[in-house]
Amino acid sequence: MSDTIIKNKDTVLNEFDQPVKGVSLMQDAWRRLKKNKMAMFGLVTLIFYTIISLSAPLLPIHSYKQQVLGHQFLKPSLRPAGELMYERQDKLIRGMAAKEGRTELNEAEIKKLADLKASITTEKKVLLNGEEVLVHERVYPLGTDSLGRDLLARIIYGGQVSILIGLLGAITSVLIGVVLGALSGYIGGTFDSLMMHFVDIMYSLPYMLLVIIFMAVFGRAIQNLFFALAIVSWLTVARVVRGQIISLKNSEYVEAARSSGAGTGRIVFRHLIPNTAGVIIVYTTLRVPSFIMLEAFLSFLGLGVQAPFASWGVLIQDGVYAMTTYPWLLWFPAAAMTLFLFSMNFLGDGLRDAMDPQSKNKL
Amino acid sequence: MSKYIFRRALGLIPTMFIIVTICFFFIRLAPGGPFSSEKKISPQIMKNIEAKYHLDEPLVIQYVRYLGDVIRGDLGPSYKYKDYDVNFYISRSLPKSILLGSLALFFAVIMGMGAGMLSSLRQNTWIDYMSMSVAVVGISVPLFVIGPVLMYIFAMQLNLLPVSGWISERGYSALILPVFSLSLPYFATIARLSRASFLEALRSDYVRTAKAKGLKTSVIMFKHVLKGASLPVVSYLGPAFSGIITGSIVIEQIFRIPGLGRHFVQSAFNRDYTMIMGTVIVYSLFLVIMNFVVDVLYGYLDPRISYK
Repeated sequence: MSDTIIKNKDTVLNEFDQPVKGVSLMQDAWRRLKKNKMAMFGLVTLIFYTIISLSAPLLPIHSYKQQVLGHQFLKPSLRPAGELMYERQDKLIRGMAAKEGRTELNEAEIKKLADLKASITTEKKVLLNGEEVLVHERVYPLGTDSLGRDLLARIIYGGQVSILIGLLGAITSVLIGVVLGALSGYIGGTFDSLMMHFVDIMYSLPYMLLVIIFMAVFGRAIQNLFFALAIVSWLTVARVVRGQIISLKNSEYVEAARSSGAGTGRIVFRHLIPNTAGVIIVYTTLRVPSFIMLEAFLSFLGLGVQAPFASWGVLIQDGVYAMTTYPWLLWFPAAAMTLFLFSMNFLGDGLRDAMDPQSKNKL
Repeated sequence: MSKYIFRRALGLIPTMFIIVTICFFFIRLAPGGPFSSEKKISPQIMKNIEAKYHLDEPLVIQYVRYLGDVIRGDLGPSYKYKDYDVNFYISRSLPKSILLGSLALFFAVIMGMGAGMLSSLRQNTWIDYMSMSVAVVGISVPLFVIGPVLMYIFAMQLNLLPVSGWISERGYSALILPVFSLSLPYFATIARLSRASFLEALRSDYVRTAKAKGLKTSVIMFKHVLKGASLPVVSYLGPAFSGIITGSIVIEQIFRIPGLGRHFVQSAFNRDYTMIMGTVIVYSLFLVIMNFVVDVLYGYLDPRISYK
């Protein structure tokens, strides 16, 4: 530009003497993303979940696998477990007495209640980590499950597993998809047509069924689950990246790189893939919730994460069986998971709009 | 066109062949046979069992035998249930799954297109916001949350609908909850897709011309816009169908419907290999045929596609 005066090496000024700054793709996208309220809400929620999951061992919560006898199905409350237990027993005994037509409790029942009250204040228990505590003074803000385990701790640790599977799965599948898609798009020819035929065949397979078979056949370990999901889910990414690469591979900068002697690997990995970064980031973000859903789907069928570990899918499955009488066992895990999926979807949609403003309203 | 359809239909055969082959060898990779259990079985008995199911033959012979059986439509005996073969269980459960799935798909398409059309016509009004928020819920909330929540509200608290079961025991109202929950994610996606494509069509010149001629909105929508704008929805039908198949597995589990999905999960737990393969073959057949139908339908709707 003729109007720009170069004062020194670092600052460029425009005609009004204001410094001009170069705006990179990422800065531009970030500026647009900041305006999208739902996407920012998603980002904040995501950060919140990440902090909670990472700091789970430091948080003042109970163990997710500690089972406490007598604490089964306590309702969500901020009062100590002992009080809730006593109330429940008291109500039960009075109910029984009322059924028998008595208004006063008999001696045995009074003694039973007094014993319970005494044990609540004194009974100690050695926990799994070796600590000795007054077990009935524990507080369960979200209640307990069928084995007397703290639901809050299970949701947090289950979230750790779910989010980890979501992130790792998304990253692996995107990595495989990007490398194969980019190579196939750039090299073209026989390699490309073989790759795309393979992808087409894989598309026509009912891959969720194959994942289920895989889990049934090879055992239900987390790494198997992870592997099974990663090998079937890179197809879409490969297709999209291939399309992008094909549209980019005849551009000037690629020709420049090729004429200065860069090899295939260098052109693909240093020049082409960074230029499709927008698409790749968007796809990774949108894959995370779908991976979490897939994991939860398998865990829901009983083919996913196994005890004593939990994941949101496992917790929801437990909740479904208990929801008639203890509905909070369904509500809390479902809410935790849904909120996370919501925010990831919002963030992904927002990122797509920010990276590629023309894509608005597309799915 | 008919030549294309014929060639495309022939292409289904190798796909099915690949699916059967992958399934067969995949399952044989499994450590431990279908009859290995905690209980010690004497070697002689084991040998007899294996001979009965031809498991003592070389793998290739087993494969050819199985392939021949499948082509004749015989999916073999169940390894777990002694009294009937796989065909019996599938023929008994398949109709229920078909009814459930096709009702859900039908509902998703009709309601989704309807919602998309309404929100595009009344863009940025409460109708638009409402149907799009339902759509966001449908996309983000997984089936196995929607199903139990609806069951809790409508069946357990309000007592309006049966909690679980099938038409034979509970009447047709037993269908409402499963069909509704199964169709919600696909309703959501179809509503969003069709809203976007209706909006695009409404801004185009031919719609302006039609409006200038003084045509009624309903005529414009159904005679001019609908065909073109339904293309993205039609191309989404293939993925939707495969999603409904996996979704129906969960829904049958939640609402205790004795359909194919229940058998599939049960056989995965039982390691009932012939049963697993039988179900996968039936599911894949449906999926492959459905994709074929969608392709042909797409060709009819979009004359720009050429058939080579």
